[in-house]
Amino acid sequence: MNRFSGALDRLGRAVLAGVEEMGKIILLFVSVLAWMFRPPFKLHNIFKQMEFVGVKSIFVVVLTGTFTGMVMALQGYHGFRMFSAESLVGGTVALGMTRELGPVLTSLMVTARAGSAMAAELGTMRVTEQIDALYVMAANPVKHLIVPRVIAGVLMVPLLTVVSDFTGILGGYFVGVHILGINSGIFIKNITRLVDLNDIYNGLVKAACFGLILSLIGCYKGFNTYGGAEGVGRATTEAVVLASIAILISDYFLTAIMF
Amino acid sequence: MFSLSSEAKVGLFVLVGLIILGYMSVQVGKQSFGLKKGYTLEVVFDSAAGLDRDASVQIAGVEVGRVESIRLKDGKALVRLRIVPNVKLEKDAIASIKTHGILGDKYVEIYPGTHGEAYLAAGEQISRTERQADIDRLLHQLGLIADDVRGVTSSLNRVLAGQAGEEAITSILTNTKALTRNLNHVIVSNEAALRAALENTRQLTGNLNRVVTRNDEKVGQVIDTLKSASREMEKTFAALSEITGGVNRGEGTLGQLVKDKGTAEKLNQTLASLQEVTQKINEGRGSIGKLVNDDETVRNLNEGLTGLNRYVNKAEQFRTFLSYRGEYLFDKSNAKSYLDLRIQPKEDKFYILGVVSDPNGRRTTKDVTVGGVTTRTEEWDRDGLLFNAQIGKRYKDLVLRGGLLESTGGIGIDYLTLNDKLKLSFEAFGFGRDRRAHLKAGAEYRLFRHLYLSAGWDDFVSDQDNRSIYGGFSIRFEDEDLKYMLTTTPIPK
Repeated sequence: MNRFSGALDRLGRAVLAGVEEMGKIILLFVSVLAWMFRPPFKLHNIFKQMEFVGVKSIFVVVLTGTFTGMVMALQGYHGFRMFSAESLVGGTVALGMTRELGPVLTSLMVTARAGSAMAAELGTMRVTEQIDALYVMAANPVKHLIVPRVIAGVLMVPLLTVVSDFTGILGGYFVGVHILGINSGIFIKNITRLVDLNDIYNGLVKAACFGLILSLIGCYKGFNTYGGAEGVGRATTEAVVLASIAILISDYFLTAIMF
Repeated sequence: MFSLSSEAKVGLFVLVGLIILGYMSVQVGKQSFGLKKGYTLEVVFDSAAGLDRDASVQIAGVEVGRVESIRLKDGKALVRLRIVPNVKLEKDAIASIKTHGILGDKYVEIYPGTHGEAYLAAGEQISRTERQADIDRLLHQLGLIADDVRGVTSSLNRVLAGQAGEEAITSILTNTKALTRNLNHVIVSNEAALRAALENTRQLTGNLNRVVTRNDEKVGQVIDTLKSASREMEKTFAALSEITGGVNRGEGTLGQLVKDKGTAEKLNQTLASLQEVTQKINEGRGSIGKLVNDDETVRNLNEGLTGLNRYVNKAEQFRTFLSYRGEYLFDKSNAKSYLDLRIQPKEDKFYILGVVSDPNGRRTTKDVTVGGVTTRTEEWDRDGLLFNAQIGKRYKDLVLRGGLLESTGGIGIDYLTLNDKLKLSFEAFGFGRDRRAHLKAGAEYRLFRHLYLSAGWDDFVSDQDNRSIYGGFSIRFEDEDLKYMLTTTPIPK
């Protein structure tokens, strides 16, 4: 009985902790929104974050996108060959990349690369009391540290998604046409026939949401770090895991809403 | 080393990303461009199953628009199409829902209407749709067929499956095996008998052949017999003809007919034509000769007799006329009557037999010699009849006749004119040393079919004051009964 109530107690605490954390993240988002439109705008900060989140992620994203497209073409080919519809491989790759895999994989990669970096950076600043110093300097840390990162995330992840989509389709084209021998005209024809502008744009909207989520969670985790170097490590891990889970879960709901 | 600022890097990245995005958008949205400006048309389908919004609208496989909306209207699918502006559709265009391949998407195919028809304006409806053999209907029908096939196979199964069916098949096979074995056995064991049977058959046919060969001769004999039989018949008919000749002669003895050689000759000719008839029968013999069957011979004999009859009937073209003529002699105040039988075997040949009652009667002279003085007394037998027996022949419109005229020899000439309606005739007879010849000229006109009017001058060179103008009428008709009597009498049964 005692043990049972103990378990219930822990479950209740965990749920409460989760809800509390979610509330804190939403509050952080609200304050980010509040601070975003409040001058002074430190454009250089924003660009620096954009460079970090976007430009420096290009290589990873291109690699991921290309190989994802290639593997989709390969798998799709074997599937479609069962009923002689190999020409549909192009459309399938393009549709999958633009709607789903482009945004999700890109944001996961960015989470791993930039989200973790954000958490670590802010966590280190927290444990080394640099954030407290900012408060002392009457400079709002949300305004200075978090707003540029969130802006960079929201803007750059969609752009990276575009790159990912494109390279993914290119990879699929390469595999489909040059390795599997599908007619190139039909391959492209099926892409344009099956893929709509809305597929691309909705994918980009998703990517923007993911960018928001990953930057917000990364910043939140780093911002609320405690417990020294160990705490920084834990914050980084938690940021990546939470952001990834949040991306995948929200992806489902976004898809349900949009398509 | 030259290094770009963060801003430049980000700017470059954004630029590249936007270019890629733009490129993809253009590629994907290519077909949508221009569509916004397009016009809408409506189409009502019985079923729009499988058709989606934004499905392709094609003409001859070229996309010309998209499906804008699909709604339900009166239990049917009202589909609104958006067509690019530069494509015009005629009023009698046909729309149908089609499928890319078997599993592909549905799309709307439009068959453009007749060139020259008015174009459909925006918002109008394509009235003609075509039902498509879609996969659902096909599968449905396949399902029905499969049910039928299953019914057949299950009934077959019921018959064949199970112990009973298997046993039945096994017993059939066993029987077949036994049958073939028995057959084989029969053939093998009876080989000698079969061979003997074949040998017998061969002999039989040989015998048959011989019989036929021998029969050939006999057939010849039969034909010969037939030949002689028909020759006998010929003789019979010749005899018959003689009989008829005799009959004719017998008739002749009644009058002075036989005295006339020409008449006899004519009669002989008639009989000769009868002989021709029998010769036809001789010709018939040829076909009889071909016959090998007694029945057929009889039949052909019958045919021969039929032919004989036919030719006898031909002889019936032979016409006979009876005529009565009365003439009133004005100067004598009495009348003369003629009763004539005119026999006309051919169109241009005739015989006339007749009696004439002359009011003058028949003159007979008697020389009585008493004591060297001869006195001649003339008597007129007023009740005596005079006879006519003439033969005549017609040359176109001219008829020459001669023979006995009023019991004396004489000749006559007739001239027929007005389509044989008017007959002018001249007769001369009664030549004698003691008196002038009797000449008679007259005309006869056919008034009706059987009634003739006549007038003339009788005996106009008479030295005995017999000349007289006469007028009268005559009745003449063809006598069928008489004809039959004449033609059938000579044919004995």
